[in-house]
Amino acid sequence: MRVEAGGGRARAVGAPASRPPRATVAARSGEGAYPWLWILPALALVLLFTLYPVAHTLWTSLHRVMILLPGEPFIGLANYRAVLESAFFAPALLNSLWFTATAAPLIVLLGLGVAHLLLADFRGRFLVRSVVILPWALPGAISAVLWIWIFHPSWGILNLVLYELGLIERYIPWLTDPGLVRVSVVVAHVWTQFPFAAVLLMAALTAIDPQLYEAAKIDGAGRWQRFRFVTFPQIKAMVVVLLVYAALVAFTSYDLVYAMTGGGPGTATTLLSFQIWKESFSMYNFGNGAALAFITVLISLGFIFAIVRALPSDLFGDADA
Amino acid sequence: MTTRRQLFAISALAAAGALLTVPTTAHAQDVTLEFVVWNYSLETIQDNVKKFEELNPGIKINITDYTWNDYHDTMVLRLRGNTQTDVIYGGQDWLPSWAAAGWLVPLEEHFPEVAKYKDRTANYALSDMTYQGKLYGLSYYADIISFIYNKKILDDHGIAVPETWEDVLAASLKLKEAGMEKPIVYEYDQELPNFYDAFVAQVYGRGGEMFDENLEPLFNDPESEAWKHLQWLQDAFSKHEIVAPETHESKIIPAMNTGKHAFTIVFNYVLAAMNNAAEQPRAGEFDLALMPGAAHSTLGFAKFYALTAQAAQDDARRDAAWQFIEYMGGGDYQIAKRWAVEKGLGFAQLPLFDDPDVQAAWSGWIDPEKFKQQATLAKNGTWTEWTGIWTAYFRPLLAQAMIGEASVAEVMEAGAAKWVEYRTLLRGN
Repeated sequence: MRVEAGGGRARAVGAPASRPPRATVAARSGEGAYPWLWILPALALVLLFTLYPVAHTLWTSLHRVMILLPGEPFIGLANYRAVLESAFFAPALLNSLWFTATAAPLIVLLGLGVAHLLLADFRGRFLVRSVVILPWALPGAISAVLWIWIFHPSWGILNLVLYELGLIERYIPWLTDPGLVRVSVVVAHVWTQFPFAAVLLMAALTAIDPQLYEAAKIDGAGRWQRFRFVTFPQIKAMVVVLLVYAALVAFTSYDLVYAMTGGGPGTATTLLSFQIWKESFSMYNFGNGAALAFITVLISLGFIFAIVRALPSDLFGDADA
Repeated sequence: MTTRRQLFAISALAAAGALLTVPTTAHAQDVTLEFVVWNYSLETIQDNVKKFEELNPGIKINITDYTWNDYHDTMVLRLRGNTQTDVIYGGQDWLPSWAAAGWLVPLEEHFPEVAKYKDRTANYALSDMTYQGKLYGLSYYADIISFIYNKKILDDHGIAVPETWEDVLAASLKLKEAGMEKPIVYEYDQELPNFYDAFVAQVYGRGGEMFDENLEPLFNDPESEAWKHLQWLQDAFSKHEIVAPETHESKIIPAMNTGKHAFTIVFNYVLAAMNNAAEQPRAGEFDLALMPGAAHSTLGFAKFYALTAQAAQDDARRDAAWQFIEYMGGGDYQIAKRWAVEKGLGFAQLPLFDDPDVQAAWSGWIDPEKFKQQATLAKNGTWTEWTGIWTAYFRPLLAQAMIGEASVAEVMEAGAAKWVEYRTLLRGN
């Protein structure tokens, strides 16, 4: 079917001239409102709990909303400028970028490895599959407590084990050294997030036709070549979706890191999400907090755009097929 | 003959008449107050509340608790969001901003009889509970920040009790040489309000001030005691590596009891827990020393029960809240006494200083004379409408400087600039 433009309206060439437009039929039969009635409850919830807060945040970011000052005058982009010029913005942005850039690929890689292991045939694999999902199901604050017990510089299990094995001579300050603490929080975050990636990748791996592997083997492909030329092309869409998802989760992460380090030492683990909270509730400046929230959203969108742009165009299949 | 409708009307009138003749209960009955606290010794709070409810059957108290770290920010969210809140734990550092925001109301304005407690309250605590000349609360507890040391460790190594911060450094280096890796354990968490308070206490010890009487910052002068002390802390953390950071006092208590540390700076009541023989292996080894420095001064402060503006809008809630506040912080001071005896919390209620039960309990974990000496030297902080938000900005900077991630000059200059910015914004000069 060919479509041509004319007179501001598009008409399908070859369509029967006597056939009434679909909209007219729908309106006459009363079907037009019917789908809307079905989606209305969901739409109302989205409007109430997503669009309204977003709109309100945008409004707040353009006004001076500071609890200690009277009135809420419009101040344009002043909040955005104040946030960008703040001494905390650059460190928080760098921390968030580092956190995202290290955590997201690790989550996908670890998830892929674990998915492979869990698909292997061994006794008790159903039990292991259930246990592996646990870290993802735990609330961030509880995971944080677990990891504090592991990383604590004075009484953490990790130091104790390393010391008892004779691998270290003195306890390592995992949570109080600015360099090490950045690694520690990434490890904890990856631990909480990789099970979700593993489950989705297991599903993707299961969907691959075994005949492809057999054919590859007959062609003399080794283990790595089978992964590269059979497995990866089949799961790459899932890998990319997971990468985007993991990046967004990491970039907006709050609870685990806050509970482990409180953003410290100094500002070593202060992420943008934490800084939004601080601007709003510690410094009473809701305008700045809202502006920072919008900046974070814009950066997140940039992430998604960059990742999707970097993908091969046929990733999700041929749209014209 | 009466119709069914007439019968119904007669029955309804009779029922209404019967209801009117039933004696009504007192006005204060059936009020449920929302009481919000941080969760220090929650079981004691619950027990105190239970006793109040038994004495006041018409008033029920719902307790909501948050951790100390989260308390301030969560309360801002709660109060700004108009979640029903009647009586709260207030702090000296938040009072000006919360009162200016209209969240708290002065007790004195609604209950003039509260004035009778003024003469029975220590001056520094009274000052911490007062904003624009009006009293906003009755004291939950009032305490000081103390320098605590392990006297056995010092005796064993032939080290005298430090008088100055140079003495503390010399003693720490000597202990380090003898094998103690980190002689100082420091409560290091930029999210804790008392992270800043402890720094101020140390500056006071040196005889320094953070601000002058016109609220001009003094700490950004390289010759100031605050500047010198931050440099001292940075050297201690980064250069000499004699400080072990811990995130909370609850972790400092067992840490000091490992015998791996000799010095710490914490709220004074922590000494009671350190010297608690029932729970700590080295109980009895710890003692209070005057805050090192030329002045030996420290920071004194008060936490208190405060009435919210929400509660004040409703007569029944307001009156019930006052009954509750007076029970908890006033009256015969039984609750303040309980905190002092059982937990070692400091107090602002002057009659308790002469209470034999308090004296007996305190002599088990602290030298009362030494405490009195330090308490006498204690001073208030500088609390303005913007101090709370400024400290939220300044604490991470302090934390950065301590571990050498920022220079003392950068931190002090940024802190002073922000202080002036907030002052100009809120006071116009």
